[in-house]
Amino acid sequence: MVPVGACLGLSAVLFGIGLIGFLGRRNIILMLVSVEIMLNAVNVSLAGFSYQLQDQRGQILALFVIAVAAAEAAVGLGLVLALSRNRPGLNVEDLTQLKW
Amino acid sequence: MATLAVQIAFYYLAAGSVASATLAVTRRNPVHSVLWVLALFLHVAGIFLLVRAEFLAAVQIIVYAGAILVFYLFVLMLLDLPREAAGPRFGAHWPLGAAAGLAFAALAWHAREPGLLPTTERTAAGGPPLGSLSAVGTALFTDFALPFEIASLILLAAIVGAVVVAKRKIES
Repeated sequence: MVPVGACLGLSAVLFGIGLIGFLGRRNIILMLVSVEIMLNAVNVSLAGFSYQLQDQRGQILALFVIAVAAAEAAVGLGLVLALSRNRPGLNVEDLTQLKW
Repeated sequence: MATLAVQIAFYYLAAGSVASATLAVTRRNPVHSVLWVLALFLHVAGIFLLVRAEFLAAVQIIVYAGAILVFYLFVLMLLDLPREAAGPRFGAHWPLGAAAGLAFAALAWHAREPGLLPTTERTAAGGPPLGSLSAVGTALFTDFALPFEIASLILLAAIVGAVVVAKRKIES
């Protein structure tokens, strides 16, 4: 018997770690990986609620989150490849062309 | 006894996933980071097993650990790693980012307060058990048929978009 509160606490901690990674890291691929950590944190809380309420829909929603994460990884890494072809380096602090 | 074993397994998996997420965010070498994320995904799959989401655990391992992370590793190997690993890990504004992350985690932690949690409603429905393949499949193809089709459309758009964005321009 897993309490739903423990799932929610774990989800909060994992989401915070992912947010720190997304805002703090300079490497653009590791920023995308941090987004995956945050999506996983959300999936943990969805599965916990699904177990608590004995309802299927939380798991279905988590499946859709995984599908969207796959799409996000494909488009994001395509952007990274196009970016690294035009300028070497993966540092987000160098990408200032849109800065006013 | 079984309850105690489940509790021990849950707290081991939770501690393991928090530790591997922290290591993934802080390692200098990007390949090490991605491998720690692999450890995180496997621990999260274990948590899915504990909350009776067997199909979700299988999808987590096959799609996340199997497909998405291999894709990340491929792209990492196409790029210039040694110079990347030599630079500083965190940007200039990382204390602000860390403050935002900690503040969000502290706020979301309060969702655990007993008054906010959903009450247990254990309906002994006669259908298939929670999280089994037949239950998930029945829900996906009846109540969630339209979102399912839209998900396939999103994946198609992502494939086409990735090819268009990443393809090399042909000099004519």
